[in-house]
Amino acid sequence: METKKAKILIVDDEKGLRFGTQRLLEDEGYDVETAENGEQGIKLGTSNDFDVAVIDLKMPDIDGLDVLKEIKSSHPNTVCFIATAYASYDTAIQSTRLGAFGYIPKPFSPEEFIYQVELGVKQRELILDTQRLKREREESLLEIANEKSRLNTIIKSISDGVLVVNKVGEVAYFNYAALKYLNIPELKIGDEILNSLPKKIVDLVNKILESEKILLKTFSTQIDFQPVQELVIEAACTPVPHVDGSLAGVVIVLSNITQFKKIEQIKSQFVSMVAHELKTPLAAVQGFINIMLDPSIRIDKEKEKDYLSRSVARLKGLTDLVNDLLDISRMELQTKQREIEDIDIRKVIQNTSQFLEIELKKKEISCEINTEENLPTIKADLNEITRLITNLLSNAIKYNKENGKIYIDASVGKNYLSIKIKDTGVGMKPEEKAKLFNEFYRAKNEKTRGISGTGLGLTIVKRIVDSYHGKIDVDSEYGMGTTFTITLPINTN
Amino acid sequence: MNAENYKKILLVDDDIDLLEQNKLLLESKGFNVVSAESGEDGWKLFQKEKPDAAIIDLIMEQMDSGFVLCHKIKKTELGKKIPVFILTSATYETGFKFSASTVEEKEWIKCDGIINKPVVVEELISKLENFNP
Repeated sequence: METKKAKILIVDDEKGLRFGTQRLLEDEGYDVETAENGEQGIKLGTSNDFDVAVIDLKMPDIDGLDVLKEIKSSHPNTVCFIATAYASYDTAIQSTRLGAFGYIPKPFSPEEFIYQVELGVKQRELILDTQRLKREREESLLEIANEKSRLNTIIKSISDGVLVVNKVGEVAYFNYAALKYLNIPELKIGDEILNSLPKKIVDLVNKILESEKILLKTFSTQIDFQPVQELVIEAACTPVPHVDGSLAGVVIVLSNITQFKKIEQIKSQFVSMVAHELKTPLAAVQGFINIMLDPSIRIDKEKEKDYLSRSVARLKGLTDLVNDLLDISRMELQTKQREIEDIDIRKVIQNTSQFLEIELKKKEISCEINTEENLPTIKADLNEITRLITNLLSNAIKYNKENGKIYIDASVGKNYLSIKIKDTGVGMKPEEKAKLFNEFYRAKNEKTRGISGTGLGLTIVKRIVDSYHGKIDVDSEYGMGTTFTITLPINTN
Repeated sequence: MNAENYKKILLVDDDIDLLEQNKLLLESKGFNVVSAESGEDGWKLFQKEKPDAAIIDLIMEQMDSGFVLCHKIKKTELGKKIPVFILTSATYETGFKFSASTVEEKEWIKCDGIINKPVVVEELISKLENFNP
């Protein structure tokens, strides 16, 4: 690689000296420009970045020191020499103070001159190198600072709380989420923190700090702020080692697990309800058998037969309940394979009413089906839609009066299908209507006594309707009857 | 007090099968049982029959119908003097965690004890004998 020629400026009013030094330096391979007076020297020296400038001290127009000042102020890295016949300590000191690198006394020999210029060029290289290194160092420092602030920003903006405690229990780092979760209004790095933390966290932190060996695992605990605050957090405490492996402190990560806890609670409530619902029919059957086996209780054959058939009915109810539960569980897990096909809702209604004919006849209920001509088909799973209609129709029978009536209407709207099932049965009180779709809820009042059911039928109906993005409406008057209206979208694609 | 002193027992349960079984069971041990199938009827029967003890199913029309009836009975002069028990299968086993043993629980559950389903008559009799108004 060819090195760039050093650029030299000669400022001198003496023509012979200008030409002489120029030729001398050009022979040495330098790139030389000359100025014949101070004004020209300033012009050239401020508009170009020369490596070295040799300035004559005494010039008729402008003093060499002024030229030096101007050049230095615009290009501080240009290495300048003052050349003069009037050598004195005073000017030497003054010129150095103004930024001159050296002083060349006139007259000088060519070797002396070249030697000085070479020194200047080297100095120039040194200056540029130093500057480059300085710039590079600043850049890398900036990068580290940027990296640090980037990490900082990331940790500060995550929703989990982060708190780092050193070996003596002082805060080494924290983010605002940590303050929020721990309900600490203000905190500074270096503050003693252990006293303000929940005891469960302090215990874990101390366990890590007090252990002889560094424990390379995470200890976690849950802190429930309820009922003061609707908040449950999980605190995970992990030791932070130094580079040499010794313990530096503990990092505590705080996560909000309130929602998760809520779901867990709902789940365990549901399990409790299921257990209770399963236990009751079992207790009834067990009770009948115990009575029949009890020698101290005397019952006749007729009564015994009654108890046996009531036991069978309770067991049937239990089987229905287990089946409904399995259906719900399958719907929830979505393991049930759906077979989507075009479904003619009229056929489903007709088949279902035929299927339930025995039940209808038992209570002498007449069923009137009114479906619009040219109803469009809907895309759905036949089993699910059949289940939907069956559950609603069997409710309309169960909760109907003897000799009651059921009206089933199906009509088409703008882009939906509407199915209405109306009965003339016991109806519902407003407070019963509100709980209708709750799991295991069954309206219990003087009019519903003796009607059996799992309490899951309408839960299943609601889930099926929801899964097709449909809607279910209930209209009911206590003692007069209930109307369920199902709206299902017609899938056109 | 001796169990013989509790001649007339009020039994309230909306499960007609369990009601009939427990009635038979208690009658076979010599008790006179009056029974009702709802909280409301139970309240009427309590006022009319003035029983010597009451056993009330917890979950009837509502989740807490049994508690409500207990509360009503325990507010009366007679109710304060007689043992009133809650009948339930909703105990630790099924995950509904309550009993009537701690001070706080007695504060809001106005009854003199919990009887688990199915009813064991011997357990009931021992509870009656240990009753202190």
